Amino acid sequence: MTTAIVSPSRPVVARRTSPSVPRQVGLEIRKSLSTRSGLAVAGAAVLFAPAAMAIAAGASSEPLSTVTGPIVVTGMLSALALISLGVLATAGEWTHGTVQTTYLLEPRRSRVLATKAAAVAVMGSVFAVVAAGLASGVLALLEPGASWNGGGRAVLMIAVAGAAFALIGAGVGAAVGNTAGALTGIYLLDLGVLPILQVVKPAFADKVDPGNAVLSLAQGTHQALSITILVAWVGVATVAGAVMTRRRAVQ
Amino acid sequence: MITVSGLTKQYGGRTVVDDVSFTLEPGTVTGFLGPNGAGKTTTMRMTTGLVPSTAGSAFVDGRPYAALPNPGAVMGTLIDASAVHPGRTGRTHLRLLADTIGVPASRVDEVLELVALTGAARRRIGGYSLGMRQRLGIAGALLADPPVLMFDEPANGLDPEGIRWMRGLLRGHAARGGTVLLSSHLLGEVEHTVDRLLVIGGGRIVADGPVASLLGSDGTSVRSADPAGLAADLAAKGFEVSPGDDGALVVVGAAPGDVGAVAAAGGHMLSELRPLQRGLEDVFFSLTAAA
Repeated sequence: MTTAIVSPSRPVVARRTSPSVPRQVGLEIRKSLSTRSGLAVAGAAVLFAPAAMAIAAGASSEPLSTVTGPIVVTGMLSALALISLGVLATAGEWTHGTVQTTYLLEPRRSRVLATKAAAVAVMGSVFAVVAAGLASGVLALLEPGASWNGGGRAVLMIAVAGAAFALIGAGVGAAVGNTAGALTGIYLLDLGVLPILQVVKPAFADKVDPGNAVLSLAQGTHQALSITILVAWVGVATVAGAVMTRRRAVQ
Repeated sequence: MITVSGLTKQYGGRTVVDDVSFTLEPGTVTGFLGPNGAGKTTTMRMTTGLVPSTAGSAFVDGRPYAALPNPGAVMGTLIDASAVHPGRTGRTHLRLLADTIGVPASRVDEVLELVALTGAARRRIGGYSLGMRQRLGIAGALLADPPVLMFDEPANGLDPEGIRWMRGLLRGHAARGGTVLLSSHLLGEVEHTVDRLLVIGGGRIVADGPVASLLGSDGTSVRSADPAGLAADLAAKGFEVSPGDDGALVVVGAAPGDVGAVAAAGGHMLSELRPLQRGLEDVFFSLTAAA
């Protein structure tokens, strides 16, 4: 600490208004990808699907009739990882206290949550598409004779799943306000409770499992129900996140 | 620039900030003083909308903080220096803030140099010391060179040179017409930096005024070759005299000039004549003890 400059060398001209929504969405994406945890989750999401595809296709001895199922199932692994990206974007701010700086610079909490939601949706869909694209490439190499009918729809549904799962993570993260708590709760529900429900009450599980909804959408079955399930998950998580975010004091 | 009126915060039935009101004018550094848990930080958080108030209002530049179009350009705030992501580098952290506020990226390098963190800018914040985090927080608050600064315990972790630098920074900001609210429990830091004191105790403002008037004068200390004779002359003139240290006399409530006049009239030779002033510590404890 050797300098004692008390005034800037030239006047600092700041923007008169808060950043535009697209700019703020871009800032939220940069925030998510400027930490090692964010980059690690993004990298894992991109690599899970092709890695799983390589293992599955390599181990398979029977010829593959259609690529839709493998692309969706392996893509769902990436979508599951993208839940963490959403959680880190919201709950991570509360865990590290950076939410204080965020709200000091943009006190409109609903706007912050909306731009975070848009940011994680964009990241979720892009990373999911990349993952599904890489998985498709692996499949093309290992199963050259498979039918690609419905492959484009499967990749599109994985993009939707990536966005939806990232949004669910962001909503739950905002509602809980604690990274460890949000991650534990949401993965316990998705990987613990829902599979048990599939065994005990399969008919009911089909009506609430977002993974099944994505698979149904990709296969073109139960369209309305599948969309309703995904919208309900995203809606409930986002509303819970918005309500808790508005009420919670930044201590 | 900052107007707080009747600000109150209750948690359950417990009132932690009780009807706090003050107005901070441009060109002044105001010290916000109080013991731990007195309500300083809660008041600052309510002013910026981080904590919702139970009652009352706070305006910055004539508007509630949340209604400012670009708050970071109006008020630079440092409340908790540890509220940064440890995985980001100092430069990345400031670049994100700069882009949010809308100042050029070159300003990041300027403030990094200002707080002497240029050399550590590419290091992750997780490896910063408390003092470095404090300086990073100050750098973030100064990005837009805002007219209002609100710092909560900014000297925490700073070395003596850093504290001196910060004092110059805040005084310079006020000299350029800025408004500064500085919360601290370091009485020496406050005493040498601020023009005005707000003292809070038990959630209530217990004193508000210029430093000089709050410190006030307790009287005059005078040392004479004939203390008994001088004491008698002073008593005859109606002054209250009590013995001080090492033979000095303390004339309660008297100005040095009045005591000197009595001494001159009585032909007393003086070896010392000085005003007695209460220290900030005495004022602080006397004001906050009852709260």
